[in-house]
Amino acid sequence: MAQIEQADKGKKKKGAQKKMSIHVDFTPMVDMNMLLITFFMLCTTMIKSQTLSIALPTNEKVEQSEMNKAKDSEAITLIVDTERNEDGTIKKDEDGNARNLVYYYLGKPMVIDENQDSIFEDSNLERTVFLGNDASGMQQGIRKILHSRNKPVLEKIAVLKQQWRNKEFSPKKDLNDSIYQARAKEVRNDSTLTRPVVIIKATPNASWASVIGALDEMQINQISRYQIDNINKTDEGMIDAYIRKHGN
Amino acid sequence: MGKVKIKRKSTLIDMTAMSDVTVLLLTFFMLTSTFLQKEPVTVITPASVSEEKVSTSNVVNVLVSPEGKVFLSVAGEADLANNPESWGSEPLRKEILKNAVARYNQLHPSKKVVLTEQDADVFAKIGSFGVPFQALPTFLRLSQTEQDKVISDMSRADVGIPIDDNTDLNTPNEFQIWMQAIYSSGNDNLQAQMKKGEGIAVKADQITPYSTVHHVLDNLQTLKMNKFSLLTALKTESD
Repeated sequence: MAQIEQADKGKKKKGAQKKMSIHVDFTPMVDMNMLLITFFMLCTTMIKSQTLSIALPTNEKVEQSEMNKAKDSEAITLIVDTERNEDGTIKKDEDGNARNLVYYYLGKPMVIDENQDSIFEDSNLERTVFLGNDASGMQQGIRKILHSRNKPVLEKIAVLKQQWRNKEFSPKKDLNDSIYQARAKEVRNDSTLTRPVVIIKATPNASWASVIGALDEMQINQISRYQIDNINKTDEGMIDAYIRKHGN
Repeated sequence: MGKVKIKRKSTLIDMTAMSDVTVLLLTFFMLTSTFLQKEPVTVITPASVSEEKVSTSNVVNVLVSPEGKVFLSVAGEADLANNPESWGSEPLRKEILKNAVARYNQLHPSKKVVLTEQDADVFAKIGSFGVPFQALPTFLRLSQTEQDKVISDMSRADVGIPIDDNTDLNTPNEFQIWMQAIYSSGNDNLQAQMKKGEGIAVKADQITPYSTVHHVLDNLQTLKMNKFSLLTALKTESD
């Protein structure tokens, strides 16, 4: 291929110059290209990072009456925590994964006894972990709880998803996607359905991954109303009492 | 009987085809590549199912190392000629530095930071910055390799932008001074994007304790920059 052959027609004449076959060796060229490819491969980022958009509430003082209080029946408070060793490093299980715990309670914390004293034992605090779906696609851990709380929304979205898969909204992919997204958003924000309000809190020990994990569960379970809040004394007291009672 | 002659074959391999392939690959990588931003620490972001993509340019990156040190970078488009609205240009970074130092000196008249024009030029070329104001003049007068060495040493006290849970904007902490300086650096597009919530990205390591990331979130809230994005890696729902 890399040679230019000159045809020698006819008989060789005496004194005619010897026909040369010009052959270019491409090996060094390939070497150089390979080096350049290696350089570009190592220096590029092919994957763009994903983002979670988040809007925090303003910390301006809001009048008590103006506040849109969540109904107790709808509220769930999640407190994420990460198990740590004595030296502050994150505890890992056999597979090398960090164990992120979630404490949660429904509605208000039940800690006040008849004498108006705070008693953290026997509160309505429960503990579970972050777990994905099991092999059969069933929810586990905190996801199961959130899933069951947001069932009306999830059922409607499952129907929409099926329609979206069958391209019932539009045969065009882009249009199909956008109609599905718009419909799903409508369902998520449909105030006629019973939807939970999730308050996410984190202990100072909690790793960033566990907080993101909690925000992620909101996306997975199609929960539209959630907020990040600061942990308070009651929460800390309840967690301490829970650990005293049930062990780590 | 005549001997069977075995033709000697030449061992030359024709490399032309190989060369063609490598050039094609090379072209592909050259066209698709966006270079990695140099960052003081490698941060492994936690995974999430969110599929929103983040733009790598026109964004203020707040980087939180596992140790809780905070770094800032203002990333813009390299090709300014075609993107007049871009906001990562060197004059802009100089403006940010000027604003921030002026504000700091106004707040701390007893220990003023004095920077020369050369220092500002050096600053304009740095991607991620993260040293306290007091350490800024010495840091900017180091050579580039020494700067990299200093800024990647997480055990040093003079690395990372000091941050605390200050909520009073009359006495802002250094992180707040920087963010205000970036916001009021005179670029309308930057302001608009920051208001929309597309201009700020918080990137923290998955093992960073929440208490340190919390400072950053709280400070942004105090600065009324309530909308921003959190950088994550991709995972699927079943994980």
